[in-house]
This record gives sequence, structure tokens and C-alpha cells, in this order.
Amino acid sequence: MEETPQASVDAIAESPMEEEQKSSGSMDEYYALQRELIVTTLVLMGIIFPAVWFFYDLNVALNYLAGAFTGVIYLRLLGKNVEKLGQGANSVGKSQIAVFVGVMIIASQLKQLSILPIFLGFLTYKATLIIYTLRILLVPDRSANS
Amino acid sequence: MDVSSASVLAAALAIGLAAIGPGIGQGNASGSAVEGIARQPEAEGKIRGTLLLTLAFMESLTIYGLVIALVLLFANPFR
Repeated sequence: MEETPQASVDAIAESPMEEEQKSSGSMDEYYALQRELIVTTLVLMGIIFPAVWFFYDLNVALNYLAGAFTGVIYLRLLGKNVEKLGQGANSVGKSQIAVFVGVMIIASQLKQLSILPIFLGFLTYKATLIIYTLRILLVPDRSANS
Repeated sequence: MDVSSASVLAAALAIGLAAIGPGIGQGNASGSAVEGIARQPEAEGKIRGTLLLTLAFMESLTIYGLVIALVLLFANPFR
């Protein structure tokens, strides 16, 4: 049976709203991913900080903690920039790099801070990404269902 | 050429060269992601999630160069 002109007009009129609803539902998945990455980074920080304190000393552990918090802020800013991409922003912003540069410059100027533990702490976010990627690869069903 | 001049030159080369590859990669990835979202708005969350991960992986390559440059400029062990 052929579609009437009125029916096709209704279909066209409804489609942008449906698309918007689908898109906003799909964005929940993105927010969940962002939340998961940040929570995993915080959990890793909670495990690594006492270990560094135990094997080295409190000063090194605090340096690590400063770097790890920088990593969390970096991840959050990157997430916000990716969220804005295509919705007004034409390119991914560089504010997240500026945070890291600021912390590294402060670390190089202050005697209490050392560069290596801060940099390694910053790389905690990378461990999170690797853990997440491995989980997706090894447990594909969960990612397909979500 | 003294150590200070060589360090400044090395820092400039480190950050400049380290930014070329990831820059091209990030541009390609972002362009393709926006194109993908325009074609399939219902998959926006998945596409943005994948883009977030790939950008984070790519940007860390620039950060390695950046750390070398900052160490050469502010905490140079050879000066």
C-alpha cells in the first residue's frame, strides 16, 4: 500500500524529535563512560597512593597524589571538550594540556615537588584507559548490552 | 653552541615534532567522529565515547614530548 502524502509529511515532522530523543538517550552512555573513567582513576589512586607511601615516603606519595589529581582534571576537561565538539566548537580545546603544563612548571620551580612522581601520577589516567579497553575487549557482552 | 642554547633548541624540536603526528591523528579522528554523528545521531554517545578514548591515547604522545621539553627548560640535568 502506498504512503499518503500527509503520512510522509508527519513522518518527516516526527523524525527530528525522535532523533533528538535517541541522541539524548545515547549521550547518557557517554556520561556513564566519563563517570566510569573518573571513578576507576580515583580507585587506582586509592590503591597506588598507600603503596607509594609504604615503599617510598609520604612526600613522594603526596607528589604522586598531586599528579593523579591533575590526571583526573585532565580527563574531565577532555571529556567536556569532546562533548562540545560539533556543538559550537570546531576543534578539541587545549585547556586540559594547559592544566598539565601549569602543574609541571610549578613542580619544576618548587623544591618540595619533584617531576617524576607527578608525571607518573598523571599517567594514572592512562592506566584507567588501558583497563577500560582491556575490559571491553575481554568482556564484549557487557559493552554490547550497555 | 653552549648547553643552554642546545637545550632550548632541543625543547622546541621535542614539542614541535611530538605534536605533528597526534595533531594529524586528532584532526582525522574528530572529523570522522563528527561525520559519523551527523550520519547516525542515535549512536552519538558511543561515537563520542570512542573519540574520548582515542583522543586521550593520542594526546598522551604529545604529553611525552611536552614533558621532555619542560624538563629541558626548567629542570635540565646537564646545565
